[in-house]
Amino acid sequence: MNNLLNIEKDQELLQGLAANNDKALEIIYKENFPMVLRMILLNNGSEDDAKDIFQEAIIVLYEKVQEGDFILSSKLTTFLYSVCRRLWLKKLQGGSHLYPMNDTLEEIVPVEDTLDQHEEKDQQFIMMEQAMQHIGEPCKTILEDYYLQKKNMQEIAEKFGYTNAENAKNQKYKCLVRLKKLFFAQYK
Amino acid sequence: MNELHLIQEIDRYLNGEMSAAERAAFESLRSTNPEIDQQVVSHQVLLQQFSAHGNRKMLMHKMDKIHAGLDVTAMKEDIQPQEAVKTPTIFSIRRKTLLNLTAAACIALFTSLTTIYFMQDASHKSTVAQFEGVKRELTNIQNSQKQLITNINDRNKKGPVNPGQFGGTCFAITRNGYMITNYHVVAGADSIYIQNTKGESFKAVSIFEDVTSDLAIIRVVDSSFKNHPLPYTLKPEKVNVGEDVFTMGFPRDEIVYGKGYISAQTGFNGDTSSYQVNIPVYPGNSGAPLMDNKGNIIGIVTGKQTASDGIAFAVKSINLKRVFDELPKDKFSRKDLKQKNTLDGLDRKDQIKKLEDFVYMVKVYNQ
Repeated sequence: MNNLLNIEKDQELLQGLAANNDKALEIIYKENFPMVLRMILLNNGSEDDAKDIFQEAIIVLYEKVQEGDFILSSKLTTFLYSVCRRLWLKKLQGGSHLYPMNDTLEEIVPVEDTLDQHEEKDQQFIMMEQAMQHIGEPCKTILEDYYLQKKNMQEIAEKFGYTNAENAKNQKYKCLVRLKKLFFAQYK
Repeated sequence: MNELHLIQEIDRYLNGEMSAAERAAFESLRSTNPEIDQQVVSHQVLLQQFSAHGNRKMLMHKMDKIHAGLDVTAMKEDIQPQEAVKTPTIFSIRRKTLLNLTAAACIALFTSLTTIYFMQDASHKSTVAQFEGVKRELTNIQNSQKQLITNINDRNKKGPVNPGQFGGTCFAITRNGYMITNYHVVAGADSIYIQNTKGESFKAVSIFEDVTSDLAIIRVVDSSFKNHPLPYTLKPEKVNVGEDVFTMGFPRDEIVYGKGYISAQTGFNGDTSSYQVNIPVYPGNSGAPLMDNKGNIIGIVTGKQTASDGIAFAVKSINLKRVFDELPKDKFSRKDLKQKNTLDGLDRKDQIKKLEDFVYMVKVYNQ
């Protein structure tokens, strides 16, 4: 019974995370961070290491649930612990498997595939980060306002002092061309 | 259509802002012009990456806020006592190592003493042993002399000096000399030679040709030809649009590396048996392997769109599998391509270094 309740709670939290619900994120963060902090401190890491590793694991989880086809095959806690453990091992010795790990008693599940996918996403992220750094204003804000904040062209025109939405839209297209060039230039 | 106008059209198309007539016109343009199709795909990739980037930034910001509200010092204090318990385990491990070292030293001492004893005991028998040794060396010299001669003969057997009339690329699919390339590379050939990066060339014959999927299997004539185990495996599953890929081929006498991404699930004129790939290819790249980041074979480069740079086509790996099934089972070992992939996880330059030995230049001569 207790188990069933746990599964249901994990599912709710994941749905919340997928829907960008701040409360769900906060619960996941607060309930799991102490465990990861402990694991890292007991394995030659610092408080800052723990924060970096744990946040990276949450990013992994977040991007998985965003894709919509993530099925949790263990407890949420176990998944996060396994990801953090793998990430930390990787950081300790650049990927080989020989380091002895002082395991705290948590269970672990295999997460190698998940992390391989994450690495690819990481590279894309860095490329986009580079492109966004070079795109400059007002392009950065216009694109963010339109595609992330989902503001309409009218609002954007007013914010940036364009005479009408059509002008703002033209500016947006120019920005897109710039971004596209900057982003794909890195593939070559 | 200029760039700005095109991006505007694509954006409107993807946002569903076009009227039915505009949409139909744009779709027909897209299906006839791979360059436009390519642009649409890359636009989708761009927007997807853009929101993924934004979402991750937002998440990181939120997490920092939550983290700032945590009392990490209190949490750390909870952990301290455990660490105190941990210290003796470290000590005991050290003591264990010390014990092991002592044991090893004892064994070493014992072995040396025994060896000295036996050496002294056997010293009078050494004349016989030395004689045998000399004899073996003699045969060794004979062997190496023979090898030198065959080496010289081999050199004479090298391919014709003239550089060949057509060139392409092929790569190994078994250890015993079966290679795959494009049908159009070897079509109508009088003789075929393949050459590796070290400059050694081998005569080959075409043993199976499939015109519809533009694939050909060639085999090195020398039956003693043997490769190292193949470092890659065949991945017959479909690959997603946007996935990074790379290739190695012989557009000139040197092997050349190229990198790009899958831009569409269909090839020239909607051909479903191949991918459209955004990758630089030149004449001579035909038959080169198309690999994903992990070093799986996902296709074979076959051609490119004339008059537009960077748009290439590659036959999907599933067709390779179909062709393999047509080959004689006793000589063609399917297992070689199913061994462990040893490229996964390597740096690109290490992957290339390993791959070089399995990708060959194809030289075709016809009268």
